[in-house]
Amino acid sequence: MTPKQLIDELIYRSSLAMDSKNFTGFLDLCDPAFRYAITAYIPEIRKEMTWLEHDKDGMKVLFDNLPRHNSDHSSLSRHVTVYTVEQDEAKQQAKTVSALQVFKTTLDGGETELFAVGKIYDTISMNGGSPKLLDRNVRLDTRMLGIGYHIPL
Amino acid sequence: MSRNEIAWKEQPKFPSTHFVDTRIYTDNQIFREEQEKIFNKCWIIGCHESELPNAFDYRTFHHPGGAQLFMIRGEDMKVRAFYNICPHRGNTLLYDPVGNAKRITCIFHAWSFSPKGDCTDIPRGKEGYQERYGCKDASLREVKSEVGYGGFVWVNVDDDSCTLKEYIGDALGMMEENLSMPLEVFTYHKAIVNTNYKLWHDTNSEFYHDYMHYFNRITGMMQPGYFDRKYKGYPNGHASVGSMAIKYDAYAGSQERAVGWPGLAPGGWVLIDLFPGMTFNLRTSVLRMDTAIPLGPDKLIIEFRGLGLKSDTPEQRAERVRDHNTIWGPFGRNLHEDLLGVHGQGLAMRERSDSKWVLHGREENSTIHDEVGMRHFYAEWGKRMGRQASDPFSDNKLA
Repeated sequence: MTPKQLIDELIYRSSLAMDSKNFTGFLDLCDPAFRYAITAYIPEIRKEMTWLEHDKDGMKVLFDNLPRHNSDHSSLSRHVTVYTVEQDEAKQQAKTVSALQVFKTTLDGGETELFAVGKIYDTISMNGGSPKLLDRNVRLDTRMLGIGYHIPL
Repeated sequence: MSRNEIAWKEQPKFPSTHFVDTRIYTDNQIFREEQEKIFNKCWIIGCHESELPNAFDYRTFHHPGGAQLFMIRGEDMKVRAFYNICPHRGNTLLYDPVGNAKRITCIFHAWSFSPKGDCTDIPRGKEGYQERYGCKDASLREVKSEVGYGGFVWVNVDDDSCTLKEYIGDALGMMEENLSMPLEVFTYHKAIVNTNYKLWHDTNSEFYHDYMHYFNRITGMMQPGYFDRKYKGYPNGHASVGSMAIKYDAYAGSQERAVGWPGLAPGGWVLIDLFPGMTFNLRTSVLRMDTAIPLGPDKLIIEFRGLGLKSDTPEQRAERVRDHNTIWGPFGRNLHEDLLGVHGQGLAMRERSDSKWVLHGREENSTIHDEVGMRHFYAEWGKRMGRQASDPFSDNKLA
């Protein structure tokens, strides 16, 4: 596969892992220096906001704590389209921009509704020809998120 | 032993102050009365002064009584509140939730207004209205507004209401020092939930539901001092809850909060519920402010604001943001659980679901799991509505 294909596949696999709540599988796709954030611009107060921010260890703790919490068990389906890939061979990194739509499907009856839209800004380490997620910023347009959700997008 | 229909509908064996009939959460007639008798009579938080830092800044607000409002800072730096309605053809004047307008011009026919509510221009007014109608007849409807208690912008659509000071009384006294310095809103989001506004305020008025929160159980309920926290009721239906030291590092992945709050002990947490649906929730490093805005008996918007000190350094602010969102953001550990809880109540109490009673019967000397906070709220609710919450359709209406 070409580097572009490897990058696309990494991003799509990360969404499949999260959709299936395979958190170990998701973390396996991440570089040890991985950082994750969910951000948004809040026009009502004209400010940037970071709603969730963790390093790789923090993400693991978040996942490990999930069974201890009371959560909405509706499933999420992440629809991602990789728009752009910019490779920096000197840094052995790539920066990507992907469109994101997240749908929520209820357990009772299977009704599906749009949960959130936004973009994913990834930085990918290309060391050794096996790309890993180094930094992910899920940048949401949607700010009205109903009762919220415990699992990152 | 399970109950049959008769037993299910039997009144709980408590005084009538210790339970409510669930129709107060579902009935449309009661909701309309609440808008009229409660929301249109009480002082409500519309926004915070930090959302209007400059002259001519405005902020729109869906008032829980139903009116669409905007608050605007004038050239004189005074904040005023108006109906967001053009007096000409009833159009919305300001569409964006926030902005800056020296002159407010309706997009429909270009009628213009000053930030003091005066009509300043009616295009081709003389030609159309001659001397019969002019700018002097077309001012905006102003509603009472005051800035106070931590810099919040309060509005009251009742021209004959008491003052804000009379309305609040001593209820915010516990936070007087905490609210004495300039504050700033650093985060804001809304949630729409299919539930009744009182159920959200109930959640903010009782801590027994800490059993739902793993975070609160491990950092609070299992720590010394938790069961010493006490409720105190104030006139007009307000109530407060005293502090304890939260042990944040008891939760894996969490740590003791490095940034505190002036006048609050390290790890402290005080909470004040204001009738009919506002909560000041000061938790160690962050002030969270909830405003409940009912859209119907079973539909609610909640506005969530997180505030820090205006004097924060970028590092302090970043910590407050993180502290807030770890538990109270849309992806936080606690807020999702609280919203899931009231969502579930909304599902179970839908009209004709045959839900019947909600209990407020715990008595523990006004300490943290006592349900006196809710009882205090419903005493005020009953007084204003002229109905008993436990028997809202009785002929024995309260005077």
